[in-house]
Amino acid sequence: MRSHDVMPDMDLYQPIQVEDAVALAGRLGSRGWLLGGGQDTYGWLKDRAKTADAMIDLNGIESLRGISETADGIEIGALTTLTEIATNPLINARYSLLSSAAGRVASPQIRNAGTLGGNVSQDVRCWYYRRGLDCYRAGGNLCYADTPEGMNREHALFGASRCVAVNPSDTAPALVALEASMVINSVDGERVISAEDYFVGPAIDIENTTALRVGEILTAVRIPATWANATFYFEKVADRNVWDFALVSMAVAMRVSGDTIQESRFVCGGVECKPRRLLEVEDAVRGRSHDASTTELVASYASRGARPLAHNQYKAPLMNNLVRRAIETV
Amino acid sequence: MNPKITRRRFIKGVIYSASAAASGAGVYVATAASNRSNGAVERLISINVNGRTRRVDVLPQETLAHTLRYRLNLTGTKLACNRGECGACTVMIDNVANYSCSLLTHQVKGREVTTVEGLRAADGTLHPVQQAFIEELSPQCGFCTPGQVVSAAALLIANPNPTREEARQGLSGNLCRCGAYDHYLNGVMRAAELIA
Amino acid sequence: MTFMHIGKDFLPPDVEGKVTGDAKYAEDFRREGMVFARLLTSPMPSARIVSIDASAALRMDGVIGIITADDLPPSAPPANPMLASEYVTYVGQPILAIAAISEHIAENALDMIEIEFERRDFVTDPLDSLVEGGPNAYPEGNAMVLTQPEGDENTASVGVISPVKWPAAEIEKLRLGKEPNGTFTAGWEYGELEAEFAKCDVIVEESFVTAGVPHHCMEPRTSMVYWENGKCYFHASTQSQSSVNNGLAAMLGIAPENLCIINENTGGGFGSKGTSYPTMGVAGNLSRLLNRPVQLRITREEEFYIGVGRPGMQGWIKIGAKADGQVAAVDVIIISDGGPTGQNSASSSAGHISVLYQPDAMRLRNIPVFTNTAPRGAQRGPGQNEMAAALAPIMDKVANQLGMDRVAFRRLNAANSDSGIYEDQGPVTSAFMREAIDKGAEMFNWQAKNSLPRRRGNKLVGIGVGQGYHGAGGYGYDGLLRILPSGKIVIHSGVGNLGTYSYAATSRAVAEVLQCDWGNCEIVHARTDLHLPHSSTQGGSNTIFTHSRANYVAAVDALNKLKEIAAAEFGGTVDDYSIAEERVFKTNDSTMGMSYGEAAQKAIELGGRYSGAETPDDIDPITQRAVAGIQGTGLIGVAKDNLERKGTPPGEIVGFVEIEIDIDTGKIEVLDYLAVADCGTVMHPQGFSQQMNGGGVWGIGMAAYERHVYDPQNGLPANLGLYQSKLPSMLDVPATMASAAADIPDPFNPMGGRGIGEPSQGCAVAAMTSAIADALDGHLFNRVPVTSDMIVNHVAQNTVDSVPLKINTF
Repeated sequence: MRSHDVMPDMDLYQPIQVEDAVALAGRLGSRGWLLGGGQDTYGWLKDRAKTADAMIDLNGIESLRGISETADGIEIGALTTLTEIATNPLINARYSLLSSAAGRVASPQIRNAGTLGGNVSQDVRCWYYRRGLDCYRAGGNLCYADTPEGMNREHALFGASRCVAVNPSDTAPALVALEASMVINSVDGERVISAEDYFVGPAIDIENTTALRVGEILTAVRIPATWANATFYFEKVADRNVWDFALVSMAVAMRVSGDTIQESRFVCGGVECKPRRLLEVEDAVRGRSHDASTTELVASYASRGARPLAHNQYKAPLMNNLVRRAIETV
Repeated sequence: MNPKITRRRFIKGVIYSASAAASGAGVYVATAASNRSNGAVERLISINVNGRTRRVDVLPQETLAHTLRYRLNLTGTKLACNRGECGACTVMIDNVANYSCSLLTHQVKGREVTTVEGLRAADGTLHPVQQAFIEELSPQCGFCTPGQVVSAAALLIANPNPTREEARQGLSGNLCRCGAYDHYLNGVMRAAELIA
Repeated sequence: MTFMHIGKDFLPPDVEGKVTGDAKYAEDFRREGMVFARLLTSPMPSARIVSIDASAALRMDGVIGIITADDLPPSAPPANPMLASEYVTYVGQPILAIAAISEHIAENALDMIEIEFERRDFVTDPLDSLVEGGPNAYPEGNAMVLTQPEGDENTASVGVISPVKWPAAEIEKLRLGKEPNGTFTAGWEYGELEAEFAKCDVIVEESFVTAGVPHHCMEPRTSMVYWENGKCYFHASTQSQSSVNNGLAAMLGIAPENLCIINENTGGGFGSKGTSYPTMGVAGNLSRLLNRPVQLRITREEEFYIGVGRPGMQGWIKIGAKADGQVAAVDVIIISDGGPTGQNSASSSAGHISVLYQPDAMRLRNIPVFTNTAPRGAQRGPGQNEMAAALAPIMDKVANQLGMDRVAFRRLNAANSDSGIYEDQGPVTSAFMREAIDKGAEMFNWQAKNSLPRRRGNKLVGIGVGQGYHGAGGYGYDGLLRILPSGKIVIHSGVGNLGTYSYAATSRAVAEVLQCDWGNCEIVHARTDLHLPHSSTQGGSNTIFTHSRANYVAAVDALNKLKEIAAAEFGGTVDDYSIAEERVFKTNDSTMGMSYGEAAQKAIELGGRYSGAETPDDIDPITQRAVAGIQGTGLIGVAKDNLERKGTPPGEIVGFVEIEIDIDTGKIEVLDYLAVADCGTVMHPQGFSQQMNGGGVWGIGMAAYERHVYDPQNGLPANLGLYQSKLPSMLDVPATMASAAADIPDPFNPMGGRGIGEPSQGCAVAAMTSAIADALDGHLFNRVPVTSDMIVNHVAQNTVDSVPLKINTF
């Protein structure tokens, strides 16, 4: 834990084709570091809390950028910046849930550089872990945050398994709500998994927030037409309105007909190591009107099963409040 | 890293190495600070800064802020956090505001970098944002000011006639510990008038 | 009084460089042969250093050398040493610095150094240390028992570190908001406390906690140093070019005249760069040791560690008020968390109450307790502003129990020009707080706003009022200027440049006295070897009052000399002469006179005190040296400020705020903010507005965002960087903030002004905490900051299982 802030010696690869990047990722394995917008890269490296031999800079690969219409929705290249997503007319028109979420990430400059692929693949922000302590997530055998005296205001209510960190991504809950799928490439070819499966908790993989394996590159995100032009609600509650990660965020997509909520996806960020589907809420509101009787019914559904730590009890009422607000907003 | 790997033909693009030995193959450059005799020339790249092409010797892992401040002596770009949490190092890349502490110099090849020093006209006339910031006495300590100036200039390129709220959003990635936000916003609004 | 310059905006000479990037800060300087030094800092909150092995690092190519405490004179705790010797007492404490030909190599070298530590017990909460059996931050104890009376906030306290313990039951009482019995090491009292309480109809007792806050100046305190011919040239980040000289010279073991401080711009100080600080000594001594120019760049993380912070407070207060609304008695206990340096602002905290509420009797009992957290120092309105934060909602409770309007209550108790303040109930130069309150209440539309419904949809509305105070000026500094034969007027200033522009605003006193064109004046500052007079630090809201006086007396000296020279030439006495358009001439015959430039030429010829060959006896040695450096170049105006004094020039401000609290999210939005100052004449309207609004931003930060957070399990700070420290961003404060002034001149400043840089935060944070309590139907959190999670928990009636009065945690 010496105080550093100068980039360490590293190699840099700048491929311009996906195949080359994939080959490099495969060959370098855990010695390689995939570099998108880099907004969750330089802090780790400058601190020397994490290291790698080489960075594989994906920014030169044009095919990883851009937003295109597909037969069933849209496809967004993983290197598309958050600013592009926040301001893209197509996304704004059909999937404003995602543009709202992208527009609330960090700061304008970070959105200008930061990419969708990077935003959904970023590491947890647990400050103990970020300091380079030997916690479970870092390969050690203890958790500093999950103790009676731990400073765990920003940590998880759900899904803790040795580690109590949360996924900090603003776009992740939106993508899960939109039933997006993630296109992953490696030397073994392409695989496509649902956004819901892309994000993983510590019980499945304590060292990674995603299902991305060493040697794999997230190349695109596909959003199906399922929720196009639905009724959306996104809210991010953070301390400051710039830079800060969500204490709790809520991404909701609803199909509403008249007064009735036909179908919905309620996805909560900031409470678990992956975006949390609020299935009980979704089931309860199905077929009900978006009025007080419904909000009263589901008042405490969202936080059911929460296991608060010493300093994060507030997240339970906060997520309940946001669910109510989402329904009221319709 | 095994240097042989980097010779493989199917890897298009350029590979930079800080630790591997150099070769003349042309597909990669290999140098290290401690290994200068061995290919330092190949680490030389050209970048376009403030309308001039600059040849500069850049480590593979070097951030743009470091190159600007330490190699090109463009010290107007400030480092206050060196990790994307303040905006003092903001520069424009192709007219878009970026944190130069959180960007590799090797990533801006072929792109136009504009620092606070590059905003003045060739004849020395101040940029409207600079002029307006003076008139409104926008800066206090001045350390965040170059970043504020560049963010404001980038905003006015994208939106020459912003509302105060749009200006506020546009400059929100620039922290000011003195709390001169109000005065910077006054400056942006005045600059928009000067441009109009 | 009508002024030519005072009260009007002008173009400070340093603004253009700031917007073009030409303005240079310490880290922007390079020098042939310069090496890069990096600090190795303590990873532990408390330990004994058993051994340091840097041999592998020193063998690395490009590594030039190292400095440790062994190369420096010893330092006794709790003084913050340049480098730790036997013990480290906080995470981030510098242990050594290593220099290399590049920063890159220096950083790599850090990892090659092996240090063996022996862990010691540590403590992050004063109450955990004060309780029987609790750990001590220093081997010798946990508190300083003073052996000399305390000085002002820029003076280190002198005493002996000893263990002081309280029974567990007394700590428990305090945690429950009751008056504890325990040992105190400082305090004061005036009036008949018990008798005054007996007269009271309303008595309110509350506990309170205010958080420690890092300064986090935008410019980390980098130094660049080189030595030439036995002289040290020091590019520093500092609040003054002259008041740090003696301290830094002492750290370097040289005479002050052999030190040249170079500092044209400073990227924020807020009290943390007001005196010489340890890493200056590290850089300077390392440069001498290596005989190379050294840049010691300070990173953001290190700036958190060593950049000092505001002390936290844990306390209890009892306030008594009479039926008519008069605050009669205040009893306050403050346990200060001064980190390992023990900075204690409790007297100023209590003083804040004594000024703004004028109780007839008051008592402060205080004990600063050392903790193994960040070193602390003065921060913007030290003591006063954190007390403003804690006090406002408690005073609102008193007003509400009295059935009085909160503004009327403050107005009734406000100080006037005859009021006494602090423990000695000493005088003030003048005070017009009632006028400021009246003006503010009208501008803010207090009556109408205060009768608004407190609910708008899912928002709670809070209307708040708060006050800030700081002693805003000093006496007895020197002014220095010269008139050149060309007619140019050169004003020498050793005041630092933090961006308040007061170094320039106060220089305009010279132009005022000499009735000259401001365009013909030049300010010389930024380098000691440009011959700068003895000046105060730019801090403590002091510059406006202090240096307009000092510049005024120097200008009067110059004016007298102009007239003397003219009288010698044209006959008569000085009383027969006037000035206008940069000429001195006989009042009844303007042809009998000369230009300032001609007079300056005469002054050079005359020598003696006219040319600076002779100097007044009472000026500081720093000024003596400065005059010696410029003597013979023109007509020298130099004088010590011996103008009439009367106690403390008070800087007072009242703030008004309207907020909305989102019931669902706990988020606070500031809708409207106004501050009205009682600061005498506004000398520089743009600069005034800057300080008023900037202080407002700081107040919002203190009220709702900023705090030190430490893990009590391992002593690690959780919020090193700017992101975790939560300095307010542009979107956390209103897009427009308003300010005004009572604008009644202070009779003890010829230019009429007093400072306002510090109370501008106090009034804002107080208005905020007042508004938060107002929105929540009088609920008191008894701590700042009030973060959104606290509000969500309160609304949800969550019982939070944190220990009352805990500090340095969430």
